[in-house]
Amino acid sequence: MKKLIRVLGVLVVLGIVALLAFIFVPVQRTGPATQLAADFKPAKGQGEYVMRAGDCLACHTTEGGKPFAGGRAIQSPMGAIWTTNITPDKETGIGNWTLDDFRAALYDGVTPNGTHLYPAMPYENYRKMSEEDIVALYDYFMNEVEPVSNKVEETKLAFPFNLRFGLRAWNWLAANYEPGFKPVQGQDEQFNRGKYLVEGAGHCAACHSPRNLFMAQDGIDDTSKAFLTGGEIDGYSAPDLRGNNSASQKWTTEQMAAYLSTARNAHSTATGEMMLVVRDSLQYMTKEDNMAIATYLKTISGGQLLKQAPPIEVTETEKMLTEAKADMPLGPRLYLDNCGGCHFVTGKGAPEIFPELDGNSLVTAKSPKGLISVILHGAELPSTADRPMKLRMQGYDNRLSDEEISALATFLREGWNNQAPAVSAADVKAVRDLPKH
Amino acid sequence: MRDVPGLPSRRTFLKASAASAAIAGIAAVPAKAEQKPEPVALTEYKPDCLTPSEWAFVMAAVARLIPSDGEGPGAIEARVPVFIDKQLAGDYGRAADWYMQGPHDAAASPLRGWQTPLNPLQIYQQAIPFFDAWCKTTHGKIFAELDAETQDKALTSLQKDEMKIAPELRDFFTILLANTKEGYFADPMYGGNHGMEAWKYIGFPGARGSYKEWVLKHNKPYPLGPVSISGERA
Amino acid sequence: MARTEKKKDVVIVGLGWTGSILGMELAQDGLEIVALERGHDQDTVPNFQYPNMIDELKYGVRLGMMQKPHNSTVTIRRDVNETALPYRSLGSFLPGIGVGGAGTHWNGLNWRPQLSEYRLRSYVEERWGAGIIPEDMQIQDYPVTYDELEPFFDRFEHVAGISGMAGNVKGKIIEGGNPFEAPRSREYPMPAMPTTWDGAKFAEAARAAGCHPFPSPGGIASQAYVNEYGMQMGPCNHCGFCERYGCYNYSKSSPQTAILDALKRKPNFEYRTQADVLRVEMAADGKTATGVTYYDYKTGEEVFQPADLVILAAYQLHNVHLMLLSGIGQPYDPATGEGVTGRNYAYQMNGGYTLFFKDEHFNPFIGTGANGMSIDDFGMDNIDFGREGFIGGAYWRSGQTNGQPIRSMSLPKGSPSWGAGWKQAVGEWYGHSMNIGSHGSHMSYRGNFLDLDPTYKDPLGRPLMRMTFNWNPNDIRMTQFMKSKMEPIAASMNPTSMQEGFKKEGAMYDVRPYQTTHNVGGSVMGADPKTSAVNRYLQAWDKHNIFVLGAGAFPQNTQYNPTGMVGGLAYWAAHAIRTDYLRNPRPLV
Repeated sequence: MKKLIRVLGVLVVLGIVALLAFIFVPVQRTGPATQLAADFKPAKGQGEYVMRAGDCLACHTTEGGKPFAGGRAIQSPMGAIWTTNITPDKETGIGNWTLDDFRAALYDGVTPNGTHLYPAMPYENYRKMSEEDIVALYDYFMNEVEPVSNKVEETKLAFPFNLRFGLRAWNWLAANYEPGFKPVQGQDEQFNRGKYLVEGAGHCAACHSPRNLFMAQDGIDDTSKAFLTGGEIDGYSAPDLRGNNSASQKWTTEQMAAYLSTARNAHSTATGEMMLVVRDSLQYMTKEDNMAIATYLKTISGGQLLKQAPPIEVTETEKMLTEAKADMPLGPRLYLDNCGGCHFVTGKGAPEIFPELDGNSLVTAKSPKGLISVILHGAELPSTADRPMKLRMQGYDNRLSDEEISALATFLREGWNNQAPAVSAADVKAVRDLPKH
Repeated sequence: MRDVPGLPSRRTFLKASAASAAIAGIAAVPAKAEQKPEPVALTEYKPDCLTPSEWAFVMAAVARLIPSDGEGPGAIEARVPVFIDKQLAGDYGRAADWYMQGPHDAAASPLRGWQTPLNPLQIYQQAIPFFDAWCKTTHGKIFAELDAETQDKALTSLQKDEMKIAPELRDFFTILLANTKEGYFADPMYGGNHGMEAWKYIGFPGARGSYKEWVLKHNKPYPLGPVSISGERA
Repeated sequence: MARTEKKKDVVIVGLGWTGSILGMELAQDGLEIVALERGHDQDTVPNFQYPNMIDELKYGVRLGMMQKPHNSTVTIRRDVNETALPYRSLGSFLPGIGVGGAGTHWNGLNWRPQLSEYRLRSYVEERWGAGIIPEDMQIQDYPVTYDELEPFFDRFEHVAGISGMAGNVKGKIIEGGNPFEAPRSREYPMPAMPTTWDGAKFAEAARAAGCHPFPSPGGIASQAYVNEYGMQMGPCNHCGFCERYGCYNYSKSSPQTAILDALKRKPNFEYRTQADVLRVEMAADGKTATGVTYYDYKTGEEVFQPADLVILAAYQLHNVHLMLLSGIGQPYDPATGEGVTGRNYAYQMNGGYTLFFKDEHFNPFIGTGANGMSIDDFGMDNIDFGREGFIGGAYWRSGQTNGQPIRSMSLPKGSPSWGAGWKQAVGEWYGHSMNIGSHGSHMSYRGNFLDLDPTYKDPLGRPLMRMTFNWNPNDIRMTQFMKSKMEPIAASMNPTSMQEGFKKEGAMYDVRPYQTTHNVGGSVMGADPKTSAVNRYLQAWDKHNIFVLGAGAFPQNTQYNPTGMVGGLAYWAAHAIRTDYLRNPRPLV
């Protein structure tokens, strides 16, 4: 709370400054990053592909709603931010927008009437997108998306966040870099393609980078040390993608690419938010692009495959579980009664189907919220072209009490080679009490 | 677009308030479940479908089919009568899944399966008074009032069909015995196998269903007690 | 009110193993396909999910995954002079219901028949002369050779994900595998599963007796597996709930683990559940089908589904029933021997020994449906029929499948069935016994057949199918032969006590105890339209756009569990349809 108040205070001050600036300085809209040839036409399918890369559909569509018609509530501590209708409907959508208007929304977070978008829209990252992709995406929305008349609820945040001009000041801090993408000289095309997708349309940093004092992403590219070193969204941890023991270090690039395109690989499966990203976005990327992303992540995490402990070693945890003594403690007992069938006494699961729990970033995450949520409610992998099976884990909310889940989760976080702090029954209750859809 | 089924929405972007910091220990927690409140005593139990006299018969009969003395729980400690009452009140008792259209040939060879027009509940309802009447004629009292030794004799006569029960009721002893064993060994959520005592007695681990690491532990007894479908541990 | 749906290229009746295989194969040719499933939709989670699935009472005893006789059953009589009576509650065999069919609740044992079984009549006649074939026995050759089928067995095994150890790869005998199997083109897709103590003990005794034990092959994953469709299995944890249960662990081969999620992605494939096909409709000239009429339980109306190609992919009993109701093939008449539909219904002749070991621990709850070790030393190929006086064979297996205490409680002979003595016996003997099973062939006979019952009807007004079936002396002699061979091997293991369970001379068919759900024949495949309902491509002889899949095609039953053959024949038929029939629809033979 304290932190929030502090942040609020800073924002209020900035807001006042911005208000003054607003009076004297007209809104600047960024132009194209590069000038395209006059006859430039995006390739067939390019616009839809960019949409998938940017995962526009996920936020701008409601549960069971028409594609891109908006109206999904993005929860924030200041209130709900309602996503807008981005179909080419002229009344309620973006049908009247010019390419310059469209670019300004992606680069500057500004609508044609000068209103600032809340940075739930990741224009901090989209600002990296190339002019070719912007044009292709614009073309897609104008010509391939069905117009839908849908007036979405207006976002009304609590004071002072309802004063959108405050965002102008925020933008000076967060999105004031040169637009477009600059490939790194000396790196190959694959690396630069991966970097472009990660930093730009893919907006990976929106979740995987920490946020600074002003709630802006702490670095929007790999020149910043904090970039992709792990973030938190609504109390769920998004893992570090470049530091010690990160998946980028431990997995081969092929394994990382498989994870991106199928939500599963030899080590792990995607849960929660990441599962949705695979379902809605990454599974539509070409194999080459997912390999490019994997290569980029491997490179910025040190470029080596982390030498892992020899797998033959039998942990004390495995020994205890195998013995199955009648008087074993509650945590491991619950593991045998609920989890061992798939994840086994080794905690290693099985490739592409039962994720490893030993060394799993969800299990050992700083915030246990994701782990608790999976134990309570289960998980589901999306059907993808290469791995069509909708693998599901069932939830245990009916079978296990808060105390039992705290003992189980604590065991998981301390078992095998894991070392993460214990989980309390209150932690479990907090997740159990969250409203469901 | 859908979020993960059953999961709270996570499409959020700004940092929420600081996570709670409570910490729990692990090592000292015993593996026993929180004690469930004891269910209502059998003498106080209100049957779903059995009448008081039927209930009295079932209580008395199962107490002889799986008696309480000796090692292991008896049918009474396992609350088998509750199981039978609930089964007879449900789909099984009504033969809901079975083909019950006529014509019926109840006197057909037993090898030809269930051919009575009656469902299991009706068989209990009609066979109990018949058997009680036979007990009264033969042994002077209805079954529930006989002493244990005479009850055993009477049940043996029933099993051997010495009283020539009607063909429609022919399977009574068979289903009574089968239902008793079902109630003894089924998951506790059906009302019997109270406390999983019957599973503990024979060494069945219940609904654990996870033994990969034990396949090659040949000829070595498995030590861990059972777990039920609802998660009770013993 | 009848409703007519939009015409499809293909209608598939039943969405179990064969319906899924045909759906997947034909969908790759871009055909518009609809599969009609009379039961409910189901998937691993939520329908089979842990822990709810491993409920012995609900699924093992009350048979929650099986078809409800109330909606669909048969009548049964032992011979033509008896009045058939309804199979009112399930016992002897357990047909499934719902998406995935029996492929969801099988044990997983997966075999290819031995070489002699594909050409049984010729094999017997060449070696011993037609004279040893009993007068009423109607055994026939398959109209297709093992060499022709081999690639399709292989395909099915790799789609289904079978664990096992090959004993004969391209003629090379491999130590530790089954030396008597027909030569396979390559190894099983996954290594064999480890075996429990009973299988290990049996293997040792069998080896000492000069036999050749090998790990039982089955659709139980010994490791993580991905098949050609990208579908997945996870390693089995030996939970001990295979047969009668859906697998909660993605470890058992089933349409759900091997095919369905991949098939559901095909935009040209659609399936409808609670759609119970009443009859196949015919064109005016009677030479082709025009589609099927089904009862839609969701709306309570009859629906006509027009289609160019009709695939009957329901369970064997239901395929034959539908053929009889629709006039596909002339119904078989045992008096004249004429007619083909319903002819050569056959079953399986099983037996075994139970051995008790007072001081040994079997942990019977550790099991899988295909667990343990087998031998094929007394298989078809290895028996001198002329000398022994029967035609047939069996494979033996020892490997516990479950320790579910209501159903799987072996007690030594003489133990009381109730009372203090029973309670003491279950405490003393649970976990201290093992079985050796003999899984034997069953021949086809003039008097064992299927037709329509004159009296009993189902709730939709269809006459029930009538099964006329009894045991025959030839198969009893076969099983008694197995007993005589098994007794000394069992005794050599020095059990505290042992007891046999083999059918004896004069045994009558008892519908009450579970025996096996290997109902075969009735729509048999053959080279002669006078003695078979479908040709070598499983195409109806008299209506060329109808194909009939499944174990109904078996001219007599093999000594093995039928699924491997059913799967192989499905890929074989799909191949013929794709490469030949679609280009030029006509009788392929």
